[in-house]
Amino acid sequence: MLLGILADGTLQPLILLAVLVAATYNYNRKAFAGEIKADQLREIPAIAAITEGVGKSVEEGKPVHYAMGASGGQLYTQLVSMTLVSLAFLNYISKLCAKFEAKLIVHMPYQAESIPLIEAMVRDGYKSEGKEGDFQQSCLRYYGQGALSWTQAVTASYDQEGVGLNLSIGIFYSDCPISLEMAKIKGGMNVGGTGRWIMVYCFAMMCDYVFLGQEIYVAGAIVSGNPLMLAGVWIEDAGKFYSLLLLGLGLLAALLGVGAVTALFGL
Amino acid sequence: MSYFFKKQLPIILASLAGVLMVAAYFLPWQPLQDIKGLMTNWIVVISAATVAMGFVYMTTAQIKMYQKNKTTLQLIYTITPYVFFTGFALSAVFYPGGSQSPEYQWWFSNIYSNVGATIYAIMYFTLASSAYRTFRVSSIEATALIAGGMIYTLRQIPLFQVYTPWIVPLGEWFLLVPNTGGGRGAVIAAALAALVVGIRTLWGKEATLEVQG
Repeated sequence: MLLGILADGTLQPLILLAVLVAATYNYNRKAFAGEIKADQLREIPAIAAITEGVGKSVEEGKPVHYAMGASGGQLYTQLVSMTLVSLAFLNYISKLCAKFEAKLIVHMPYQAESIPLIEAMVRDGYKSEGKEGDFQQSCLRYYGQGALSWTQAVTASYDQEGVGLNLSIGIFYSDCPISLEMAKIKGGMNVGGTGRWIMVYCFAMMCDYVFLGQEIYVAGAIVSGNPLMLAGVWIEDAGKFYSLLLLGLGLLAALLGVGAVTALFGL
Repeated sequence: MSYFFKKQLPIILASLAGVLMVAAYFLPWQPLQDIKGLMTNWIVVISAATVAMGFVYMTTAQIKMYQKNKTTLQLIYTITPYVFFTGFALSAVFYPGGSQSPEYQWWFSNIYSNVGATIYAIMYFTLASSAYRTFRVSSIEATALIAGGMIYTLRQIPLFQVYTPWIVPLGEWFLLVPNTGGGRGAVIAAALAALVVGIRTLWGKEATLEVQG
């Protein structure tokens, strides 16, 4: 009966969604009970490098640059999760900059609808350190539409204002090779990552410290310090176990010449 | 403004919109598809309207930068975007055909596209300089990377295809087995993480959306 209601080919995604919803309920309960803590996760060197980079910027008297990607403000596509993680990092770097009195420059994406969220993150970062008065709206830079105009503006900013730390986390396309390498050439320390696997190579090549693929989600949860975001790491593991189970079943079925599993899931 | 209107109502609305979009994916009912279409149109309108806000932010930053550095060069940097913005806007508004008019297309093809192509070309120089750093044989990982990269690249060169034909299947193997296997694992992991963030957002528990600002 259920198969008659569902759109074609959506049974398997629905089962995965059900698994993740059940895991979310379970681990969120544990998070509320205080059973989930950041020290249960392995250390990610790039997180510590962010603080080091802010220190370097203060010592050199150069600004900290934060880039979410030219199109890193997507709030209504399948990449929205990366925008949210990027915002968590923005909040974190704003706190650090407020704490150590480093100048922060945020290169905003061309999706202007994300500007209120970006400004809220930065303001909240300064506010949480009791330095709301230090926030300047002119540190939020908007460059209009187009990845290549964004790239020109960001690299011009590195050149004119200098770069101590360049933290680039979010949705990146062909904008990241130029911006990352130019930051490096101008003496900046690059820390960054993207969940878009196709561009991870750029970050691996050009960054001093890199978050590889899904590490941005884990690191985002750690820097937020929010137990519910940390619980997400365990929930994701539940999804991975389910994927491995499917993989094992599919392999077994293929070896035995049984097509039932693949037929059932419409694969 | 009360806590409900400032914090809870936006989260409820966002969750509701998300649930409707998820339902429209799984259930092929026409009313849900209509709502999805309507919401997609709203997105376009909201996105277009907020560009004005971006323009304000851009102007604020430009003025501040000029105030800090009152030189002729900085003045040129400050004015240039507005000159071109006005040029593009006027050619779209006053010539028949709007953004499809030959005048607007001239601006677009001869200025915007060429500047874009120039910047795009610079990307390959930045890739080359970073490749030099990355491919230096300084560790086991870097050696493995350069070995894989060289075999993968050399297999496409006719000279190597003729004199070392074994390099072709080996390069293909690197491409289709370790590269695809590793890549798929990473993509699945990132997709699962994205799903988890999505569910948390629908649940109204996404920390980044709870920030007061």
